[in-house]
Amino acid sequence: MINFEEEIEKFQPSPEIEQAEDLINNNDLTDISDILKALLKDKENNSF
Amino acid sequence: MVCPNCHGMVSEKRSRCDRCGQDLTLYKRIYKASNMYYNLGLEKAKVRDLSGAVIALRKSLEFNKRNTNARNLLGLVYFEMGETVAALTEWVISRHFKPDDNDADKYINAVQENPTRLDALNQAIKRYNNALTFAKQGSDDLAIIQLKRVLQLNPHFIRAYHLLSILYIKNGEIEKARKCLLRASKIDVSNTTTLRYMNELEQKPAGGQEGEASLSHDSSTIMPISSYREDKPNIMAFVNLIIGVLIGVAVTAFLIVPSIKRNNVADNNQDYVDYSAGLAALEEKEAAIAKLQEENAELSQKINDLQAELDGIEMPEVNPELYDPLFEAASLYMDELKKRERDRDYSQIAEILRNIDTDKYESEQSLLLIDRLKQDIFPVVSKIHYDIGHKLYSDYKYEEALDELFLAYNYDQTNVDAIYFIARSYHRLEDYESARTYYEMIVNDFADSRRYQSAAEFLESLPD
Repeated sequence: MINFEEEIEKFQPSPEIEQAEDLINNNDLTDISDILKALLKDKENNSF
Repeated sequence: MVCPNCHGMVSEKRSRCDRCGQDLTLYKRIYKASNMYYNLGLEKAKVRDLSGAVIALRKSLEFNKRNTNARNLLGLVYFEMGETVAALTEWVISRHFKPDDNDADKYINAVQENPTRLDALNQAIKRYNNALTFAKQGSDDLAIIQLKRVLQLNPHFIRAYHLLSILYIKNGEIEKARKCLLRASKIDVSNTTTLRYMNELEQKPAGGQEGEASLSHDSSTIMPISSYREDKPNIMAFVNLIIGVLIGVAVTAFLIVPSIKRNNVADNNQDYVDYSAGLAALEEKEAAIAKLQEENAELSQKINDLQAELDGIEMPEVNPELYDPLFEAASLYMDELKKRERDRDYSQIAEILRNIDTDKYESEQSLLLIDRLKQDIFPVVSKIHYDIGHKLYSDYKYEEALDELFLAYNYDQTNVDAIYFIARSYHRLEDYESARTYYEMIVNDFADSRRYQSAAEFLESLPD
């Protein structure tokens, strides 16, 4: 059975168009390539 | 492919960057995995499994954030689900990573070229947020109203369908909730939330608040078939119809008709009163017109009379000949004065003065001049005519003597000698009455004159 109050609380406000710029600027664009590069860079630093 | 280390272009067949020497084996596997998820997302999007497509595409971007195809497709899927801002965000980021030859430009322009549509989408978002606030405050009715408007503005807004469905379910409106979920499922066929709510509806006990929840989902569009039943004649309906007609006739006869008659009578009375008043006013006006016409005739007559009187008036000043005799007499008198006294002849001047009508003279100076001339001239002329008359009397020419003596008398009525010989001439002519008149004139008016005694004696001698 659905608990309606809990279910409604799960809904989040939808971002408005005026907020689009903040969303773009704060977007986390880190991908696995970035992580891999960071790991490789750390490895190189530690080897020296 | 692009070398993640130096961002230089590297052949797909190469396992190491020619430029920086970076080992590309791992990167190539990562990019391959990203593309695999992109293909998965594309397959799901094609069958409208939008939620599954979102998951696959996001996974693709976690492997390779520069996978422009995956990001553009993610934006499209978001837009189809009514998530306008999320879609725009993905397209803008896509354009950031690949500024040229990017489909994201086309999508962004398509949205921005229709400001009305964009405003409607934004209004839908704002109203959704308001509805969410109402729902969290427990104002379900207000929230439902707002959400209906949201779905009019953006019919693909999956989140709005979900919220509206849960509110309907909460309020026991099962069928409405089911319809909402069906519409949402047509947009996103395997949305987890949609399926969960549908499952909840399936578990609801039969006989919902609307009475339609007992019907299965598959049979919701099938209309129930009522059994055939032949209509029986309804006598009561006929009786009620007759009663209604009778009541209508009674109301018309007892209420409406008398009212109409009363109104007609009142109107007729009013018309009569208006007609009488109008007639009286008309008569009054006619009398006034007749009176005015009579006054007009009188005034016209008066004007004509006055005009005639005015035309008849001879202005003394205007008559240039009025004073001419006076001027002529004065001029002649001045001429005579220039002569020696024994050569002077005033007879013509006396004749002119005698014929002047002094009544027409208004100038006081002119009247004074006439009187002065008469005082100077008339006694002299009177004596001349007396002498002539006396000579004629002495020659026994009594009638001729009377003409001259009367002239002498007329010029000077104090010439008692002229009066005496007038009386004597009548006496000689045996006109005793006339002689008596002039004898009595001397006796009565000139008692001090030398002719009194003689006149009195002759008066006594006259026969009765």
